[in-house]
Amino acid sequence: MSSSADGRLRRALHTSRRSGPAAIVGVMIVAAFLVVVIAGDWLAPFTATERAGIPYQPPDAVHRLGTDDVGRDLYSQLVLGARTSLAIGAGVALLSIAVGTLVGGVAGLSRGAVDTIAMRTVDVVLSLPFLPLLVVAAAFLGRGLTTQILLISALTWARPARLVRAAVLSASGRGHVQAATTLGAGTWWLLTRHLSFSVAPLLVPLVVRAAMGAILLEASLSFLGLGDPQRASWGTMLYWANVRAAVLTDAWLWWVLPPGIAIATLVVGLGLIGLAWEERLNPALAGGRRRAA
Amino acid sequence: MTTRRLSLRIGQYLLVLLLAVGLNFALPRAMPGGPLATLGGEDVGLLGAEEREQLLAEYDLDRPLPEQFGRYLAGVATGDLGTSFVDRRPVSERLLARLPWTLLLVGSSLVLTTVLGVAVGAWAAARRERRRDTGTIIGVLAIDAAPPFWVGMLLIAGFGVQLGWLPTFGAVTPGGPGGFGDVLAHLVLPVATLTLAGFAQTALVTRSSMLSVLGSEPLFVARAKGVPRRRLIGHHALRTAALPVHTLVLLEMGWLIGGAVVVETVFSYPGVGRLLFEAVLARDFPVMQGAFLLLTVTVIAANLLADLTYPLLDPRVRHPVEVTQ
Repeated sequence: MSSSADGRLRRALHTSRRSGPAAIVGVMIVAAFLVVVIAGDWLAPFTATERAGIPYQPPDAVHRLGTDDVGRDLYSQLVLGARTSLAIGAGVALLSIAVGTLVGGVAGLSRGAVDTIAMRTVDVVLSLPFLPLLVVAAAFLGRGLTTQILLISALTWARPARLVRAAVLSASGRGHVQAATTLGAGTWWLLTRHLSFSVAPLLVPLVVRAAMGAILLEASLSFLGLGDPQRASWGTMLYWANVRAAVLTDAWLWWVLPPGIAIATLVVGLGLIGLAWEERLNPALAGGRRRAA
Repeated sequence: MTTRRLSLRIGQYLLVLLLAVGLNFALPRAMPGGPLATLGGEDVGLLGAEEREQLLAEYDLDRPLPEQFGRYLAGVATGDLGTSFVDRRPVSERLLARLPWTLLLVGSSLVLTTVLGVAVGAWAAARRERRRDTGTIIGVLAIDAAPPFWVGMLLIAGFGVQLGWLPTFGAVTPGGPGGFGDVLAHLVLPVATLTLAGFAQTALVTRSSMLSVLGSEPLFVARAKGVPRRRLIGHHALRTAALPVHTLVLLEMGWLIGGAVVVETVFSYPGVGRLLFEAVLARDFPVMQGAFLLLTVTVIAANLLADLTYPLLDPRVRHPVEVTQ
């Protein structure tokens, strides 16, 4: 039953025709964050963990966004937090889509028992509440960046696997592929000469969406106090802001607002790229008016 | 849903439960430093050899793994989830005390998300018949991109602190008069946060489902015979379009439960999610595991409810006709 919801979500996202400007904005947003990642050491006047000033300072010339409860520079944390988010996004996107493509591809090609087992596994994984499970797993297995990437990937491969399988099945049903099969083409030939061309473009929006999900999950995990203590993270900034009740004072303006805006902007930027790519994939669905409308 | 499908579905839910329990069993044993550190509490390092043996025996850790798992399963099945490190009370007791608040929060949010999502989705679909709606999609994207705990913090800063309209802490006023109004006032901001963060998905699904129904032949005919537009959308289209929205509960529940964990944390709302957060802070592993298991059961129960109520919406499932394809 959730496969139809999946399909609909996917279809719901291929819409509007005017995605050109949106794509450009998306690329510019993500590029800006990449610049911040690369130039982070020049942009950030302090490290994320050093006590650079008096605690709870409002913004001034030295601390552009003030300091937190132990005197760490919030602006530096904001700048360096981009690294954590993008690393998590990229790591999880590559890993979970690699696993998802493998499982979905094998399931779609093999059909039969392998397919059934793979898809039932997907259903089971999708029925688990992700965040509580992540919290428990991170509490036991540690909170380093690599561990976080592995844990989040272990939960997020399932939905891409189902979509890849559906794409493989629909590609296998198309005329030229059936013709090749009838002529005796082997699995490898089909995969390299035919199927990969229709399935591969689908991977781009899947990678983008996996990155978006991972960035939000890392933020939630760090917000619950399970962020990597050695790294700056937007979620961790918000964790301390919440624990120290920054919203009760004016501090929310420089302590709460910026990291949230950073998360939302990065995720929107990625989303715009994914949206534009999906429309390119399927211009028919991007059309404005429908027949009967 | 036929009996066969339903039993398959229930089998799947049992698998999910087994996996959740299996993970709870495996995680402390996979932990660097061995299971004693997390099963026995913080002071294990101070114990002598004999006491360690005793503790190992108490948690069945001196037995072979399969037997350990069997005993563990039997314990969980009888509601024994261990004791909390913090106050030495049974974990199940602490969890059950918190469950009603989470159910209240998630339940009200689910209702509101659905009502708001369907209304906005139907409106967007009806509107799209005339013009393009890039704006809707980008709006949904932006709403989905804002982390719910951040939205909650902003709501506290705005409505709680700056305007002073609503309480931002807990579920009732401590030592206050209590009563329905008090509970309701405390519920407003957390529910608003979860609903704001969650309704966009429902709206997207409704909209896309509505658009495909509006373009279908029965609707074409209805339009041709002159059914008024309001009735066409409200009666003919919306009822058919509701089916995929109903199945969305599966995705939405898991999401809302995750959202409840962070939102309860922000608002210090005394639910299972807040308990999970407190357990993380106190490194109270049995409570963490219990909370995870209870939340899994909640998600499964909601899905089962969705499965059982699906035939009420879809007469084709209620009276199945064999169709050869």
